[in-house]
Amino acid sequence: MNHTITTQLSNGTATFSVDPSLYPLDALYGAAYIFIDRCFVFLDKDEAGRVVVSLSPKKGPADEPTLQSWAGEFGNELLSCAWRHQISAQNRQVLEQVTSLALAGAMGPPSLDDLSNFDFSSQPLEDPLGIAMSWEEKYKKKTPAAAAGTPAVAAPEAVKP
Amino acid sequence: MNLQLPALAPRLDVTTQAFFRFRQVGKKVLITNYEGFWALLTPEEFERYATGTVQPGTPLHQRLTDNNFFKATYDTRKAADRLWQRRQALTQGPNLHLLIVTLRCNESCVYCHASRAGMDQVETDMSRETAERSIDLILQSPNPNLTIEFQGGEPLVAFDVVKHAIAYANEKNKTAGKQLEFTMVTNMSLMDEEKLEYLLANRVQLCTSVDGPEHLHDGQRKLPGASAHMAATKWIKRINQAYADRGLDPTLYRVEALLTTTRDSLPLWKEIVDTYVDLGCRALFLRPVDPFGWVDKTARRVEYPREDFLEYYRNAVDYMVELNLKGVQVLERYAAIFLSKFFGNDPNFLDLRSPAGAGIGCLAFNYDGKVFTCDEGRMLHEMGDSSFLLGNVTGSSFKDIVSHPTVRSMVLASNLDGQPDCINCTYNPYCGTQSTHNHKKFGSVFGRARESTICAVHKGIQDYLFERISTDDPKVLDIFQKWTTSRPRTHFLQPPTA
Repeated sequence: MNHTITTQLSNGTATFSVDPSLYPLDALYGAAYIFIDRCFVFLDKDEAGRVVVSLSPKKGPADEPTLQSWAGEFGNELLSCAWRHQISAQNRQVLEQVTSLALAGAMGPPSLDDLSNFDFSSQPLEDPLGIAMSWEEKYKKKTPAAAAGTPAVAAPEAVKP
Repeated sequence: MNLQLPALAPRLDVTTQAFFRFRQVGKKVLITNYEGFWALLTPEEFERYATGTVQPGTPLHQRLTDNNFFKATYDTRKAADRLWQRRQALTQGPNLHLLIVTLRCNESCVYCHASRAGMDQVETDMSRETAERSIDLILQSPNPNLTIEFQGGEPLVAFDVVKHAIAYANEKNKTAGKQLEFTMVTNMSLMDEEKLEYLLANRVQLCTSVDGPEHLHDGQRKLPGASAHMAATKWIKRINQAYADRGLDPTLYRVEALLTTTRDSLPLWKEIVDTYVDLGCRALFLRPVDPFGWVDKTARRVEYPREDFLEYYRNAVDYMVELNLKGVQVLERYAAIFLSKFFGNDPNFLDLRSPAGAGIGCLAFNYDGKVFTCDEGRMLHEMGDSSFLLGNVTGSSFKDIVSHPTVRSMVLASNLDGQPDCINCTYNPYCGTQSTHNHKKFGSVFGRARESTICAVHKGIQDYLFERISTDDPKVLDIFQKWTTSRPRTHFLQPPTA
């Protein structure tokens, strides 16, 4: 299998194929998307399973240097996206923490206006285990009359989820 | 000198070192760690560190221990303190708020980033109502210290709006209780004694543009029928005198001036520094040209390779160091910012931090009420790209604006711990990237550091500074330490409100 990226410039289109074992699909999509304001981007797969990328001009013909430049830029962007994809996975926790810190810091603490606008009528989170329920709700507290014959400790089946 | 890393490889022992990054700087090797401590080592010292053979009890061992470079003695508390010093600004909210009171400007600059409008385009003036709604939002920032910066266009063109905004902000601040400052970026050409008296009385800090000597400045900044340079320098001198007349410390209270480096500036580094010194300015900010606004069209005239900028930068700062050695006090702002970071006192400069300050440290309020992540985001909007538009002063709450998905994306994209290249860069603890610049140049907020002119400039300046530090010249180190001294200009704080 040919593992090099060879760019073909024909019919005003730059076409090349990429080995998907080298680049995650997410990175390929990320790199491709960045080019959609510059040119039309088509992704396909050849018989060998390589991803075929075609870049063609949106208006009029594109000259060879432009096509070469798109292909080269695509290659650089693809590498950048692939590496960032890896770094993001490795550093996910610290990136999320810093982002949360920055956004929470920018918004500041909740204000009285925020509280007055809060919809207290909305249902809380789903609670399939009944953790947020009161003891009375969870164990269906009996009426005083019915409770007279109820043991102090709930029957085992009552606590089954 | 070249590090013989391949020859070193068989003997590497990575069991004793704490996390570090390294880079050859001049004749030494710079090592930095995650929290930002650093050490400059000779190649022999680096070899001992890399092979785990630094002898305990030696000065080298002590120096590396003091800066948290060994696993065995890693001081987590010390690391956390240093990291927090860098990160704490993230918890405070936007401090800098740009109020674009008009796009009209009476000067025409070859590199105009602001996309100025002609003087007859009064529809680009901010209305009083828009100014009020903008200030209502600004005062909702959780940051206790707020700076409102009047920009344009030329803000003196819409001076009534400026005055109204100042009066309104001070009135509303009686309830908000913020520590409030006003600054204005002006070309000075429409200044007069009446306006100046108002600005001085209201403690508005003034900043202007001086590109260098008269022929350079006037060649780049056209003021119809007059010299833009003369207009700026005349008022710089007048205002500096007015500060002195009011009993303010003349070493601290002076008009700040900025310059934009174009291709024509590059050979004139000495003349540029001399112009600033002759004007009594104590700081230059040697900024390269940005790709926003008119530069899109004038790039062939004003742009240049960044290695040429770095040569210009080195020449200019070398010359400033020489002047300092002769007793002339003048500093370069990029250098001062980076040196402060190296020495553990991060000044929180919004464009040079990770994550960057767009949206979380600053906001830009356009004349028409549109709110942007930063001035560059607003500039791109004027160029037809509204990617950094966050909302409008009439329809968006403060929290809508700062929690906008675009802000989240920019925070993520400008975090150097998620960026290829930056993740391994020795300068990671001191550096920053700009999502707007990346978006303009590469089509994504992430950009590609290796190909970025911003990265080239940041790396080049830090290389230069560490090279100068590595010579261990005590006089130069003393000058660099002085450049990191930050003296608050408390006069420009608005008086406390009841």
